[in-house]
Amino acid sequence: MPLDLEKMEGDIFTSKGMVKAEFTFWVGLAMDKFYDGTTDQKFIGTKCSKCGKVFLPPRNRCGDCFAKAEEFVDLPGTATLKNFTITPWKITERRAKKGNKNALVGLVQVDGADSAFMTEILNTTEDKLEEGMKLKVVWAKRIKGHPQDIAGFEPVGGA
Amino acid sequence: MERIGIVGYHQVRPELDLQMSPYECIFTAVRGALDHAGLKRKDITTVISATNDYYDGKTISNCFKVSAGGAYMKDESKVEMDGAHAAQYAMFRILSQNHKLAMVYGFSMPSCMPFECTRILELDPTFDRPISLMNSYSTCGMQMRAYMKKYGVSEEQIAEATATNWKNAAKNPLALQEAQKADMTAAEVLKSDYLASPLRELMYPLLGDGCTALILAPEKQALKITDNPVWITGVGNCQETYYFGERDLTTSLSMEKASEAAYKMAGVKPSDIDVAELFGYTACEDIILAESAGLAEKGKGDSLVAKGCLNPSGGATSGMTPCATGLNRIIEAVKQLKGEAEEHQVSGVKKAIASGQIGFCAQNNIIYVLEGGN
Repeated sequence: MPLDLEKMEGDIFTSKGMVKAEFTFWVGLAMDKFYDGTTDQKFIGTKCSKCGKVFLPPRNRCGDCFAKAEEFVDLPGTATLKNFTITPWKITERRAKKGNKNALVGLVQVDGADSAFMTEILNTTEDKLEEGMKLKVVWAKRIKGHPQDIAGFEPVGGA
Repeated sequence: MERIGIVGYHQVRPELDLQMSPYECIFTAVRGALDHAGLKRKDITTVISATNDYYDGKTISNCFKVSAGGAYMKDESKVEMDGAHAAQYAMFRILSQNHKLAMVYGFSMPSCMPFECTRILELDPTFDRPISLMNSYSTCGMQMRAYMKKYGVSEEQIAEATATNWKNAAKNPLALQEAQKADMTAAEVLKSDYLASPLRELMYPLLGDGCTALILAPEKQALKITDNPVWITGVGNCQETYYFGERDLTTSLSMEKASEAAYKMAGVKPSDIDVAELFGYTACEDIILAESAGLAEKGKGDSLVAKGCLNPSGGATSGMTPCATGLNRIIEAVKQLKGEAEEHQVSGVKKAIASGQIGFCAQNNIIYVLEGGN
């Protein structure tokens, strides 16, 4: 159900916003390396020492094998679209809003990785999206070692 | 396992904006469950709740609910998951032989908090959360797309099952009033806007404020309280990976494992189950969970909805109260076993399953096998 945040304004006791305390999350060695990589516009994943699965974003262990995954692997900027959705909703930890424009959201598996992550699909249109299509990364204009270094992915060879 | 009896329950009928304080709401459910069982507060020795600090806007939110939940000067604890998980915790307390009667309740008031925003706080804060693309809508949308594609299921089939859920809710007196849509059609479902394609607004449940309480007792005690208890004869739960991109969204591996464990404990087969009350966010998820619990062939689960043996209450579509929805499923299954479900009663129910979940696209499932008769 769409949120009616307007209605909540009228409540007698309204605690503004979600938790506003500044939390710090230590990203860990694997993600630290990952963000070193994005700073250089490169993907760095990790490989499980037992089953050989490659994780991107990386993590230092494989949940299935319960083994270390500390070997870093360089991965390319090309990927496959595994799944997608088209949504006018933008939901953050502070607000949920239905916008006028649709976002194309893809579940993207970088070539050589066994995991996939959600990211925006750029420079194409809704009707062109298809599972299995080949994509390449679009880096943000301003790189700062942050998840948003990845602006999104676009079709290989243009839309 | 010793049988655990469900000896009393009460569900506050959910409302979009319930005119009660949280504590009035909890008190109504807990007092109601005691009255239903003919018990007094002093009979209860342990109280286990399911609430969420983010939903309640308080840390350690159970500490303020002591008096409302009947826990004053008693053994008390909380599960920050679904109410169905709290019921399992209460079972552990009873099976430890230290407790004779356990009160379980699940509560939340989504009218007082931005539920979809709190779900963003479930995400990995070092990657997914700052990107903020993963949410209830986008994950349910992708789950539906993956399922339809793999099994050649059409949007119309999902819309048909969705419409049946809304119509079932109209027969359920404890459904949210706004969810009681006796005239809903698949065509109307398909006319509603996309939340996240192919998921549409009418495929997503309405959220309701509410509280549900359940009283559990060991076998001997249960038979002293009522000559018609419903027994928990099996339970299983399983946790899948958090990493959404590594999950097979066309099925539910956690439900497969959880149901296997529960069936084994109860000594039953999926074919013995007469009715299922499963907690899926959407009709598509209900179907996936039912298939994973072995009730139908993969890709054919919508036939269960048409037959009326999957979520005759309307499931979560009848009103989703975070933290209480799994308990509502248990209560609905109990009513089916006792023949008390009135307009949505399925005939001849001897064995039922009920489930709860937590996480995106039911990352974790917990399932109960319930049986009537003494």
